[in-house]
Amino acid sequence: MKIVVCIKQVPATSDAKIDPETKRIVREGVKAVLNPFDTYAVEEAVQLRARFGGEVIALTMGPERAAIALKECISVGADRGVLHADRAIAGSDTWATSYVLSQAILAIGGVDLVLCGKQAIDGDTAQVGPGIAAHLGWLQATYVMKVDDATATGLRVRRMHEDGYDVCDVDFPAVLTVVKDINVPRIPTLRGRLAAEKAEIPVWKPADIGCAPELIGLDGSPTRVVRTQPPPPRSGTTTVLDGSARDSARALVAELRRRSIL
Amino acid sequence: MRHHIENRIYHVEILPPKQDTEKLMDDLAAFTEKFNRVMASGYCACITDNAMGLLAFQGHECIEELGLEAKPDQVMIHLNTFHTKANLDEILATCKRLGIANLLVISGDGSDRLPKLSPADVGATDTAAVTSVELLRYIRREHGSFFHLGVAFNPYEPADHEDEKMERKLAAGAEFVITQPIIERNARVDALLRKHPDLPVIVEAWMSKKLHLLSDAVGYTIPEDTAFDPIATLKSLHLIYPKCGVYLSLLGFKTQYDLIKDTWVVEGGAQ
Repeated sequence: MKIVVCIKQVPATSDAKIDPETKRIVREGVKAVLNPFDTYAVEEAVQLRARFGGEVIALTMGPERAAIALKECISVGADRGVLHADRAIAGSDTWATSYVLSQAILAIGGVDLVLCGKQAIDGDTAQVGPGIAAHLGWLQATYVMKVDDATATGLRVRRMHEDGYDVCDVDFPAVLTVVKDINVPRIPTLRGRLAAEKAEIPVWKPADIGCAPELIGLDGSPTRVVRTQPPPPRSGTTTVLDGSARDSARALVAELRRRSIL
Repeated sequence: MRHHIENRIYHVEILPPKQDTEKLMDDLAAFTEKFNRVMASGYCACITDNAMGLLAFQGHECIEELGLEAKPDQVMIHLNTFHTKANLDEILATCKRLGIANLLVISGDGSDRLPKLSPADVGATDTAAVTSVELLRYIRREHGSFFHLGVAFNPYEPADHEDEKMERKLAAGAEFVITQPIIERNARVDALLRKHPDLPVIVEAWMSKKLHLLSDAVGYTIPEDTAFDPIATLKSLHLIYPKCGVYLSLLGFKTQYDLIKDTWVVEGGAQ
């Protein structure tokens, strides 16, 4: 099974700043990390490879420093990484981005499955995965919470929604976006990290893989951001723990442990 | 662990490189230098496990991957409950292979990225969450007496809760105790020593001048303008607790390490 995992390097902050002129997220001077949702996609790919063999390729589009995020994927089991970086793709919206990624997936060749995190924590659009499937004309399943079964020709997955989940059969080639429930991402080992440090990350340009110039960058982006504003402050909720002090304390400790705070 | 105390072997805390470091090779070189220095001094290197919930590489893998020599009885690995079962078993197996028998078993600090052992993972049926007690039982059950298991004692927790938990830790197989940092005589540590006179107790000496971190560790605010000399405090702890070992947290290897060899002083003169 040849699996491409599309990942994104995002600012390591929940306090993202927006450039008032460009309406884009300010990335300079902010520590960057692998999009947390993508770690679940990488883990699922590595687990599928362990069960069925094949290859896991991490793919991203971004500045050259995004190679660090690809190396993080390699450190937890991806076989190799591909970075798509070029000035021509700057300003791409989700449609142009998914076009470039779809072309890269075709250039990699022989891909059975594309996995993405359900969304990136900076843009929060959840559009790139479905966009890739649309550009490729492949089947897609979004918000996948479990892979029940896999064969040489496809997967049976559970697709989460507000009222439960749907069981879907998806034939290859296909695109899945995954949610946090699907697995517990492994933490890089030192051995994996050292191997990743040595990995060579090829940098592809749009022209290398036959991207149409009019479909990339600002020109290829139909989205126009006309206004941005910060989200309303998150309203906290209060839970009152009834009962004796001992019972309340036990309930509080149990809840904190459930959230891995204790 | 008793012989560590009798032979005045310091327990020197070493933090392994963090997972998100952007200068991994430099950090590994620094870790190697500290580790080798502790080995050469005859002290015990105590390697933390994702301290404060911050993701770091594991002590056993640093030792193995860097080819460091873990001298017998001179390494202690911290082990907390924020691991997968597979990872826990791998840590224990590697420690065995490397001859690392000293473990400090703690509940630990979690974070969003860290998994948590479930009761089923360690064969616990009488609890909703795994603590150091269940982890101790698991290690004892799976590995017999190979490991020398220590536990933490927090004198800043409510006494009845901490004392009751300490009894359960001892019943689960704990053989020695390391306290939270103390900077002067502590009534709770005194009570522990009175109750368990034969239990090896190692008091933690805070070697950093960053008092806000110490406040975080002990759970109460120590004013920043408090006069605090770590070396002087270390010497006074030896005098106050002559039958205890000492764990040095956040020791400055550049400025303090060469000074500590002269600090283990008990009544009757320097040793």
